[in-house]
Amino acid sequence: MKTLLSTVVLTCAALSATAVVQPDPNWFAGFQEGTPALKSASKLAFGPEGILFIADTKAAAVVAVATGDTQLAGASKLVKVEGVNLKVAALLGTTPDEILIEDMAVNPVSRQIYLAVARGRGPSSTPAVIRVGADLAPVLVSLEKVRFSRADLPDAPVDAPPKEGQRGGNPRLESITDIAFLENRLLIAGLSNEEFASTLRAIPFPFKTVANGSSVEIYHGAHGRFETRSPIRTFVPFNVGDQPHLLAAYTCTPLVQFPIKDIQPGAKIKGKTIAELGNRNRPLDMIVYEKGGKEYLLLANSSRGVMKVTTDKIETLDAIGEPVKDGATRGIAYETLAGWTGVDQLDRLDAGNALVLRQAGGGSLNLESLALP
Amino acid sequence: MVGVFQIHPSIWGRQISNAGLPAATPGSPEDPTLSATVSVAWIPVGDGGDAGRQVVEVRGLTAGALASLSELVKAGSAWHRFLAVYAESGDELTIDPLMPSMAGTYALTQGVLRFVPAFPPSPGVRYRAVLRREAFPPGSLPADGVTLTATHREPSVASHPTTLVSRIAPSSKVVPENLLKFYVHFSAPMSRGHIYDHIRLRTAKGDVVELPFLEIDEELWNPEMTRLTLFLDPGRIKRGVKPLEEIGPSLEEGHRYTLVIDRGWRDAAGQPLKAAFEKVFEVGPPDREPPDPKRWAIHPPHARGREALTLNFPEPMDDALTRRLLRVVGEGVPVPEGRAELASEERQWLFIPDVPWVAGNYQLLVGSTLEDLAGNNPGKPFEVDLFEGVQRRLSNEMIRLPFVVR
Repeated sequence: MKTLLSTVVLTCAALSATAVVQPDPNWFAGFQEGTPALKSASKLAFGPEGILFIADTKAAAVVAVATGDTQLAGASKLVKVEGVNLKVAALLGTTPDEILIEDMAVNPVSRQIYLAVARGRGPSSTPAVIRVGADLAPVLVSLEKVRFSRADLPDAPVDAPPKEGQRGGNPRLESITDIAFLENRLLIAGLSNEEFASTLRAIPFPFKTVANGSSVEIYHGAHGRFETRSPIRTFVPFNVGDQPHLLAAYTCTPLVQFPIKDIQPGAKIKGKTIAELGNRNRPLDMIVYEKGGKEYLLLANSSRGVMKVTTDKIETLDAIGEPVKDGATRGIAYETLAGWTGVDQLDRLDAGNALVLRQAGGGSLNLESLALP
Repeated sequence: MVGVFQIHPSIWGRQISNAGLPAATPGSPEDPTLSATVSVAWIPVGDGGDAGRQVVEVRGLTAGALASLSELVKAGSAWHRFLAVYAESGDELTIDPLMPSMAGTYALTQGVLRFVPAFPPSPGVRYRAVLRREAFPPGSLPADGVTLTATHREPSVASHPTTLVSRIAPSSKVVPENLLKFYVHFSAPMSRGHIYDHIRLRTAKGDVVELPFLEIDEELWNPEMTRLTLFLDPGRIKRGVKPLEEIGPSLEEGHRYTLVIDRGWRDAAGQPLKAAFEKVFEVGPPDREPPDPKRWAIHPPHARGREALTLNFPEPMDDALTRRLLRVVGEGVPVPEGRAELASEERQWLFIPDVPWVAGNYQLLVGSTLEDLAGNNPGKPFEVDLFEGVQRRLSNEMIRLPFVVR
């Protein structure tokens, strides 16, 4: 789970702030049986009833797969899989240096762990989805003859004129950098390899045919007086009071929140910067959890470890209005967790534990559960 | 290593008998000294796009062994307890009991147990199929001491370093202090993973600039993986944010830098680059002015000729976006097929037709997400001074530059 950009263009054809969650939706409407032709498995997220969303950057699509994984798989226990990348390489019949673990997601119902993997590092790499169950043995998830539904994303931004009278393939590719399911929508963040205006799309689920639709721009303020654009690294849905928000971690260090209800066609949104996390802050993943009646945010960071952020003041916090100086950190409080080192991927395993994929030296990666602090 | 047993290389691929099988495949030599009937062999299958696929076949199983496997079919149990395939890349053949066997599908048809690996073999990797004696009923397999294995070694792809950095955009020798990105072009497809280890930005004194780039795991490649987009860290470009306050910009006006791509970066064939690449450039003042289409000069071609249509910008523009976001439409006249090029250090866009132009009215359409080197869009700067000044922008906005071909 990862990135997006600050002039966030929300494609919201069927997106409406007034969208009402159906009382008992048929989540499998529009599903077909077959083999979803994945070109890549970039990001994973779980929806309701064991539905696994697989973001396919190369195909500019998201596939929803009915995993049937809808029961708690064995008693909840601590997880430690040493050298999980080596085991995945063995399972896929190749060498560990030919394996890239792209993302990790825990099925919140079964607590089984899913990994998105690339077998091969070049343009002809093959995607694979791996499941690590209660026995901690990785298995390949077969995507043959499964029930699935697919949403194709527009390959280019809505204002990019198509080629006409000119030759050549389109070198533009929009990396899907984070996905999350929220109520009845899949939020998809993208980062283009060309223009510096990435997209955040909210696609109604079950998937329907979605036109490009109108878009909104989300600015995040409080860089002094300058409203700027910058990539969001990762985001997480989060309730502020009883209002659903997105908390987005930007590469240029602010943590920004904006209400999901503001995301309406044609709107222009200003996000609120609630923390400036400073230099060398390279956000990777975020999770939200509750402990002792309070909500916290964990932010994994490639160069500063994992940060625990207290969120109880988010509701009343003023936006940071001035630049932060002298190495100070402004906004909500955070602490860097000792011992949570080398974390590449972060997700919530259960109410009391996080799951991390972390570097264990010598190119080995471990899958471990860590008690939520 | 605890729990690992090793098999001496002299008994790799030993089979019990190959009667009735196709000729033994490379890597699974027959051993005529054995008289039992069970064989484990790699068989090449597939053609076309599936060429090179190999499957494992176990033949000659006794009625007792087949009965055990049939029970397995009914129970839906783990086939790999009977037949497992391991991928090995080291010099020693080892089975690590902590490592899973290779994923694939098993089938028992007409007395033949077949394993189809889920993935094609990787170059240079050795695959060993092991029929597990201990899983079968006593007496249903040949005597102990006979190793029921077969190996297939996928040949390494013989190659040597040939891939080069072919060019880096922007090509201009002077870039603005708030330069947003580089495009690194390669002569052949490259590989992903740890790429930022191979990219350095050095000052004129030879010091390495700390964390100048936006390093993201996704790595922004084109589909062919011949072009990498390298964003400068936006936190060190934007005014008022903490990294810029703390450690300053990645690039400083008036200074000279070298962007270095080292040889260790491997291409898609696993080979290092043929040579390192260095781009030396100087840094000018920051550019915070949005490009103004009124200052772009369009030079229409003449009718009945194959002259290029040219558009001149007063500043260098983003290489990739300028190539992609411009197109010509005719007002009731056909637009010739042709190719677009950039020249004059990305200050000039040319459209070179394959066939002569037809006289008439045309428009050059420019997408509004076009950027200059600092990420400023036409009519909209990279940084907006106060949110209230942000003009609502329609998503399908396009800049239209009319011209007449006479």
